[in-house]
Amino acid sequence: MSSETTTPAPAVREEIAQADDIIITENVDKWFGDFQALDDISLNVREHEIVVVLGPSGSGKSTFIRCLNRLEEHDAGKIVIDGIEMNDDVRNLNAIRSEVGMVFQQFNLFPHLSVMNNITLGPRKVRRMPKLDADALATQLLERVGIPEQADKYPAQLSGGQQQRVAIARALAMQPKIMLFDEPTSALDPEMIKEVLDVMQELARSGMTMIVVTHEMGFAREVADRLVFFDEGNVVEQGTPQHFFENPQEERTKLFLSQIL
Amino acid sequence: MVDMPAPNPQRIVLPPHRERARRPRIVRLREWVKRNLFHSRMGTLLTVVTAAVGALLLYGIIYFVFVDANWRVITDNRWLLFAGGYPMDQEWRLWFSVSFVFLLIGMTYGTWASLGRRDHVFIVLVSGFAILLLAHGGAALWSTLWYLIAIGLLYVGYAITIRMPREAGPRRTLQQRIVTGLLIAALPIVLIVLLAFGGARPRELDGFVLNLVLAPVGIAGGLVLAIPLALGRASRMKAISWTCTTYIEVVRGAPLLGWLFVALFILDDVIGGELIVRAMVVLAVFTAAYMAEYIRGALQALPHGQGEAAHAIGLSQLQSTQLIVMPQALRISIPPMVGQAISIWKDTTLVTVILPLRELKGNADSAIAQFEFTPDRIEAYVFVAVVFWVVAFIMSRISQRVEGSLGIGER
Ligand SMILES: Nc1ncnc2c1ncn2[C@@H]1O[C@H](COP(=O)(O)OP(=O)(O)OP(=O)(O)O)[C@@H](O)[C@H]1O
Ligand SMILES: [Mg+2]
Repeated sequence: MSSETTTPAPAVREEIAQADDIIITENVDKWFGDFQALDDISLNVREHEIVVVLGPSGSGKSTFIRCLNRLEEHDAGKIVIDGIEMNDDVRNLNAIRSEVGMVFQQFNLFPHLSVMNNITLGPRKVRRMPKLDADALATQLLERVGIPEQADKYPAQLSGGQQQRVAIARALAMQPKIMLFDEPTSALDPEMIKEVLDVMQELARSGMTMIVVTHEMGFAREVADRLVFFDEGNVVEQGTPQHFFENPQEERTKLFLSQIL
Repeated sequence: MVDMPAPNPQRIVLPPHRERARRPRIVRLREWVKRNLFHSRMGTLLTVVTAAVGALLLYGIIYFVFVDANWRVITDNRWLLFAGGYPMDQEWRLWFSVSFVFLLIGMTYGTWASLGRRDHVFIVLVSGFAILLLAHGGAALWSTLWYLIAIGLLYVGYAITIRMPREAGPRRTLQQRIVTGLLIAALPIVLIVLLAFGGARPRELDGFVLNLVLAPVGIAGGLVLAIPLALGRASRMKAISWTCTTYIEVVRGAPLLGWLFVALFILDDVIGGELIVRAMVVLAVFTAAYMAEYIRGALQALPHGQGEAAHAIGLSQLQSTQLIVMPQALRISIPPMVGQAISIWKDTTLVTVILPLRELKGNADSAIAQFEFTPDRIEAYVFVAVVFWVVAFIMSRISQRVEGSLGIGER
């Protein structure tokens, strides 16, 4: 946000890998059968950058960020996360997954585990953290997301907003360098959206690298360093929030924004 | 930074406007009767007819039980029916096992559910039934005492576990682990008590004891086999999934009776060994095929997000299955699994038909084969039916209660 210039950012920036790019994707394709969900995506993200991904339904937003921790396997192109290339090497995959946290639209908390155990499971089983340390970490994270008093409850006993905050805490417990959010507030009642966005905003301020798929334009305007507009598996346009909201270039972007704003 | 959520207007509960006068109980009763029994002419007719048939039936039952029946066929054949060829001087082993299992039932209830008034009534009724049977004739005073100890242990186990905290926390987790561990270890422990260190030989497991051993072995063995089968069938590797599918479909393609024939004749040549062991293998193999299908159904019912979330925090495929997917799938499949367990429980009577193993029903046949008891066929079979029903009822009761209390974590 600091390096804003008077000339608007180019509509489609040619990606040139830079030293502080923590996520590098080059010419990524993804097919579902004979349907192409991602078409030659090249998109790099710098460390500490907040990228908000916009686009109509079915444009490939989820598919893209799911490729970044291999919930989907890309079919062509290259994905490098913090210097580790995503390939069939299981060690690479595990290394990447422990650096990338993900928050889902449907929370996906583990309903048979208490809030505490939801959060400590990853650190204990993957990082082999002793139980006491993991508990301390979880307590601290629950405080950070504002619900320290809910530790012993089960997910079903929490409101949607509380559940999503637990899900954020669960992802943070792995101490990731990157957080992916796939429409984190879309399943929430309006009065709960703010509490989740507040947590995300705090996270952004703390220097986390974040990719956020969302339709919350207020959040995008205030928090994002860069907006990326997806359509039909392509990155159609990207730039600063200012560029997007004041001076969008592409017809598809204008059409989309006119419907959502 | 994150402020308290604003009070939700829907959650505000106002005190009642004014005291509502409660109508006298007798008036409410009268209304209930009118509304539920005599609300129309047809309703009245149905009520009267049902009541008449019910009364007649009840009269018939009472007359049979208390006047007509000759229960000596049961009391005189107590040992034959329940333990048959089990060495009589090792009776303590049977009672020790019963006491241990009762203690565990108490602990299970105390940990995951609670005993309600209905449960107490049921326990008292069954105990009355059992004591009547055991104490009759006075010869079996020790057995009666043992039974009372067993029931006492049920309440002891309950009293200890029900005191522990119910909300999640390290102590609750520890308690759940201990009781779960005991439940898993129960079957081997009971088998050791019955058979090892100078106990009976396997072929001496007989009568009701045989039913009580065969069914849990079949159910537990079936469950252990069913989990890999279900995972295998859902596997993406075709060789594995086809193998498991074939197994499941072949086993389900023939009735248990047929598979018991296999145990008797074919397995005899192939693996030999004790007949009872072959019967156990067949029961487990048979049960596994059905349970695997229930588990597979539950696996499919689980939201995809569960496995994805597990991977996203870095759990391996194995960890995800073991910690996230399988616990939830097993919980979902409890009701059909209990149905299968009850069905196997009743099907243990089938071993008599083919195998020269003698369980409760088989020994009831022997009892009425004695000249003096031939007229008492009905008494013998009614008794067998009641005993089977009691156990089946306990199984379904426990599962209902445990299921209810496990529900807390569900969405
Ligand atoms: N597992 C799958 N199998 C087949 N097609 C899929 C699969 N997942 C996604 N798709 C298709 O790929 C396209 C992109 O899907 P994706 O979920 O990435 O869209 P999205 O931009 O996240 O949309 P939304 O805003 O609705 O979440 C859609 O047309 C979808 O139907
Ligand atoms: Mg999506």
